[in-house]
Amino acid sequence: MSRPDPLYDAGRLAEIADLDLLSDDVDPILRDVAARAASALGLPVSLVSVVLDEALHVAAAHGIDGLWLADTRGHPVEWSFCATSVRTRAPFVVENAETHPDHAANPLVTQDGVRCYAGVPLVSSRGHVLGNLCVVGLEERAFSGEDVALLRELADEAVRRIEARRQG
Amino acid sequence: MPPPPQHPGAIPGYGLTPPGEPQARDALRRVFGADRGDGCWDQACRAVGLRSGHVLARPQFETAVRALAGQGGPAATIARSLEIRLRTYDRLAAHAAAAHAGGQA
Repeated sequence: MSRPDPLYDAGRLAEIADLDLLSDDVDPILRDVAARAASALGLPVSLVSVVLDEALHVAAAHGIDGLWLADTRGHPVEWSFCATSVRTRAPFVVENAETHPDHAANPLVTQDGVRCYAGVPLVSSRGHVLGNLCVVGLEERAFSGEDVALLRELADEAVRRIEARRQG
Repeated sequence: MPPPPQHPGAIPGYGLTPPGEPQARDALRRVFGADRGDGCWDQACRAVGLRSGHVLARPQFETAVRALAGQGGPAATIARSLEIRLRTYDRLAAHAAAAHAGGQA
């Protein structure tokens, strides 16, 4: 029997709503986490993403001003690199999206030029993967273990900030 | 920015079409199961004076989705997904229309 897809887990979706992660308001601390991730890895874009059932919501971002993503604050989940981590609970790295079997035909790659991606899951204290902290670039790029470890540290910081909403 | 097309097709290059009532029902059923999922949608429609199964126009659909968001919990998250998909469709469709108009100029 196949395991249910966690994207559609009611408990995970309920926690996303409970943590007030659906708002268009941008938390300045999460924005700062995204900026630091982009800076540390030398990439133009970083997102604190919340993966919903059929869409990705951008809770905070660095480097998307002027892009359509800044207007929409999200996109369909079928284009999402971040959704992989929701399903696997593990970091997801794509060094060359043009040749990746899951993303070579992704419009974010074919239309918007995404070439590299590294994301780590945002795991709540209740054990749900809410989304990812990720970095995105327009050129092929290898990512080291240190890069992923750094993203994990920043992701932990983002989760602490998000969890503080529960107590607020 | 040009308004989105009245009879939307898939956006070239992105293959995206806007969600409507069938997609909303499917999304709710995936999370809640058929009975409870249909119940959520029926409740959202009733709350804004719409007849479930007959939400055809875009403005009506948006109104029902806002009512769905008001249910909170997973229903609110699903409503947000639908809103993002609508917003993305509109933004990319407007860009495609503008690019087409620019190409014809």
